[in-house]
Amino acid sequence: MTTDYEAFRAEIATWMQQHLRGEFEPIRNCSGLGDTGYDPKLAKRWEQELARGGWVGIGWPGEHGGRALPLSQQVVFHEEYVRAGGPGRLGHIGETLLAPTLMAFGTREQQQRFLPGILAGTEYWAQGYSEPNAGSDLANVQTRARLEGDSWVIDGQKTWTSWAHESDWIFVVARCEPGSQRHKGLVMLLVPLRQAGVTIRPIRQITGESEFNEVFFDGARTEGALHLGAPGEGWKVAMALLGFERGVSTLGQQAGFEREMQCLIDVARRNGAARDPALRQRIAQAAATLDALRCNALRVLAQDEAASGGVHVSREAYIAKYVWSNWRRDFGRLAADVLGAAACLPDDDPMAQKLRQVWLFSRSDTIYAGTNEIQLNLIAERALGMPR
Amino acid sequence: MDLKLTEEQRQIASSVEQLLADASDSTRMRRAAFEGEGFDAALWAQIGELGACGLHIPEAHGGLGLGVTELVLVAEQFGRRLACVPWLESAVLAGTTIKSLDDAAVAARWLPSLASGERIVAQDIGLLAGAPLAARPEGAGWRLDGVLPAVPAAMAAQWLLLPVQAQAGRLLLAVALDAPGVTRHPRANHDATRPLAEVGLKNVQIPAADCLGRGAAVDRALARSRRLTAVVLAAELVGVAQQCLDLTVAHLAQRVQFGKPLATFQALKHRCAQMMVAVELARSAALGAAREFDGGPHEGRALRLATMARCLADDAAQYCTQEAIQLHGGVGFTWEFDPHLYFKRAQATRSWLGTSSEWREHLAATLLDGAAA
Repeated sequence: MTTDYEAFRAEIATWMQQHLRGEFEPIRNCSGLGDTGYDPKLAKRWEQELARGGWVGIGWPGEHGGRALPLSQQVVFHEEYVRAGGPGRLGHIGETLLAPTLMAFGTREQQQRFLPGILAGTEYWAQGYSEPNAGSDLANVQTRARLEGDSWVIDGQKTWTSWAHESDWIFVVARCEPGSQRHKGLVMLLVPLRQAGVTIRPIRQITGESEFNEVFFDGARTEGALHLGAPGEGWKVAMALLGFERGVSTLGQQAGFEREMQCLIDVARRNGAARDPALRQRIAQAAATLDALRCNALRVLAQDEAASGGVHVSREAYIAKYVWSNWRRDFGRLAADVLGAAACLPDDDPMAQKLRQVWLFSRSDTIYAGTNEIQLNLIAERALGMPR
Repeated sequence: MDLKLTEEQRQIASSVEQLLADASDSTRMRRAAFEGEGFDAALWAQIGELGACGLHIPEAHGGLGLGVTELVLVAEQFGRRLACVPWLESAVLAGTTIKSLDDAAVAARWLPSLASGERIVAQDIGLLAGAPLAARPEGAGWRLDGVLPAVPAAMAAQWLLLPVQAQAGRLLLAVALDAPGVTRHPRANHDATRPLAEVGLKNVQIPAADCLGRGAAVDRALARSRRLTAVVLAAELVGVAQQCLDLTVAHLAQRVQFGKPLATFQALKHRCAQMMVAVELARSAALGAAREFDGGPHEGRALRLATMARCLADDAAQYCTQEAIQLHGGVGFTWEFDPHLYFKRAQATRSWLGTSSEWREHLAATLLDGAAA
């Protein structure tokens, strides 16, 4: 697509060819966790392989060990990575959500302690936001944190915590001022997951698999210095972190969708669905809309780069989550229709498996990270300025 | 691909926006549409002075030498105001067709006056099927007979570009609309802001010099022009959809029922939010397609880009114009309020340069059957 950076493209392609082989063969082309055959241990070793190649944190500033590549070059990396069959990234919560937040709000000690582990692919992070009574209403967080000597002590429960069982740390939004309400009195804590006070219980999903978990904190502890931002200002930090969610990682995700699209096309050609006129229309519409999602993501990035860290959220950024998640949910339906009867009849065919996975998994896309309904509230009230 | 706009691009868009906010507000647009046969000559002159007709025309031929991105930014403004000028028809469609012939002599003859807006060139896009044209060779030129039932901008134009199948092969002819044997009648049209005319050709003489191209060069130019114009037309539809959203949000803010503004009701807010979703995604598509066209994509990409821009803008315009009428309530069904004008434009545009389902089927054939783009 972009004609520049030919040498850079070649460098990535060559590196991928030389490293995504041998023991990593099984995870080639896997979208990520939830894909059959995506072994987390192997995926972590792959992250470390990437790290050794200098491909983690490529957009981070040099002082934090990154390569400070401009957005346009990061985009090229994501494109080439997927083109070469690179698997879904296990480290993205740490690399793209926590790391930028650490750089913006963390102390020098916190940065020096946590960024290297993320950069090396040796420490993995989970996100502790949602609770049983704080889903769409996130400000209703009830998990409590109190300072006891030089430790924070945490009690409460988080839920829908992706990959907690494969992670080492979790960032937790907790109430540190007893009796405080809503957005006030919260703190963002960095908490080790592997300790006696933490219990992780997998939740079985409609796919039959368990990607996310309930995480119980029962007198769990973390060091007194491990609050990110000031205690009481956790909401601000939590929201800033969500702002990083629409960074370049969306292009990695985009690339994954493109791979799913190709898989659907291959299956449709193979099983004859490609001859159905109505399906042909839907497939073309899905492909065209997928291209538009990419344009929207690039428009968001262009704005972000122009605003250079400013707080302005552009209109295209407001729609980003809604459009990709609804695209994918529709795509899931299309995938099932292309499969026909095989949608509900599992077999060993890897492409059919992938499409069945998307069919079911995509139902979660319009729920997590702000449901469709919350997204529409945000768009109406913040982007269109309609009254609350 | 970088989607950042330059300062110059922003200024071009905003200068057209400002001009039209005043010169093509609802009152003036309606006057031109219903009392001026859909052509506002004074506005056309202003647009010409602004250089908007030559945005994409090379500087050597009197244009500004800019790209599709600039066309798309400006088109959106024309769509928002339903400006009664043949900018898309002449500057974009005919201009791109002529430019795409890649013939220096043809470009030198036709582009400068088109870029300045002095000359309006229409192009037949076959909106309605008519009797097949007959082109008989005569000397070095041709004689034409036939009826073109619905030609955009044919009343305002001085020239008509006409692709013709002659015995010797494909020709692109320029017909002087004041030539003997040419008749023109405005056609009844629900979209009064984009007038069409029936053009009759009776034994019309076309001198050899008015043949702009022959054979494969014509097909190539028409295909390129069709794809590029589809992207610009998509941007125009984005403007249509945007204006419907703006009108609706403003209406809901001031209309009070049940003791509070309608804008406070969540069901209505969500409808507006979904309109914005459609608008912004279509805008991203048009902008992305334009930016890639500026990079000179190969033919396979051009089909995919045009399909993307066209289909999403069509969806957005259909959705937003329909919602604007519904959310205005009873007044949305009146002649006095504007939503119906946009609703009609959105529908009229659907048959231009291929329908969305035709674009999608063509794309499907490349994706699923390995067909050429």
